[in-house]
Amino acid sequence: MSRVTERLTCLLAPTTVAHAHCDIPCGIYDPAGAVLAAQTVAKMVDLIGAIEGDSVADRNKFARCVAVKEQHAELVKHEVQVIWSDYFKPEHLTANPDLHTKVWNLLKLAGKNKQNVDADAAAQLQAAVKEFADIFWSTKK
Amino acid sequence: MRPGIEPGDWLLVDPTTRRWPRRGSIVLVREPGSDTLVLKRVAGRPGDPVRLGLDAETHRLGPGEAWLLGDARDVSIDSRRYGPVALDRLVGRAWFRYGPAGRPIGPLVRASGLTRR
Repeated sequence: MSRVTERLTCLLAPTTVAHAHCDIPCGIYDPAGAVLAAQTVAKMVDLIGAIEGDSVADRNKFARCVAVKEQHAELVKHEVQVIWSDYFKPEHLTANPDLHTKVWNLLKLAGKNKQNVDADAAAQLQAAVKEFADIFWSTKK
Repeated sequence: MRPGIEPGDWLLVDPTTRRWPRRGSIVLVREPGSDTLVLKRVAGRPGDPVRLGLDAETHRLGPGEAWLLGDARDVSIDSRRYGPVALDRLVGRAWFRYGPAGRPIGPLVRASGLTRR
């Protein structure tokens, strides 16, 4: 590009930017992150239950597993909330009228997994996230 | 707003617009909630019926209210999310594309599907 054209372009180019406001990257949603995070929570519950000793190394492992469980339960909530609020539209609710209740229960389950070390709660969370993912994929058919 | 407008398009906006333009026109508005400048199409004007929510109940848009939709209907965040948009959020009507190089120059086309119900 010649310098004149370049200058002209600079002069003419708009200074205000407007968005069309989709989510960026545009329309890419995937519940896989939530599924993986729920699996991680369950795995951490297993690992925490398997710690027997009381050595510094054991206590360090215990603390790390609890921290990861906490983080990934929070990640489940975040991933699910984003898809729930940003992806699902009224027409999806027509086909899945109990979606709100399901998400609400799922988020409460994630909270329960933060509060406790409970293999049943972890399995329930995994099942709830899988069901949520299935609903998501059913809207893509 | 694909395919009507591509990212990077240079648009002229008429800031003197005081009323919602005709259905199918593209408007620049301050998005409810975020206050971001966004481009949307007018799908309903004050007094027009729109269907809200799951029960497909029909409501009439109030004075000064518009129903705005993005062209990329499956991913757009628009009135289906934030509801009717009040007139004080209208910044102007986008009416002309003047660049950049390689993009067609000329008035923006109103969407024919939105001009009649």
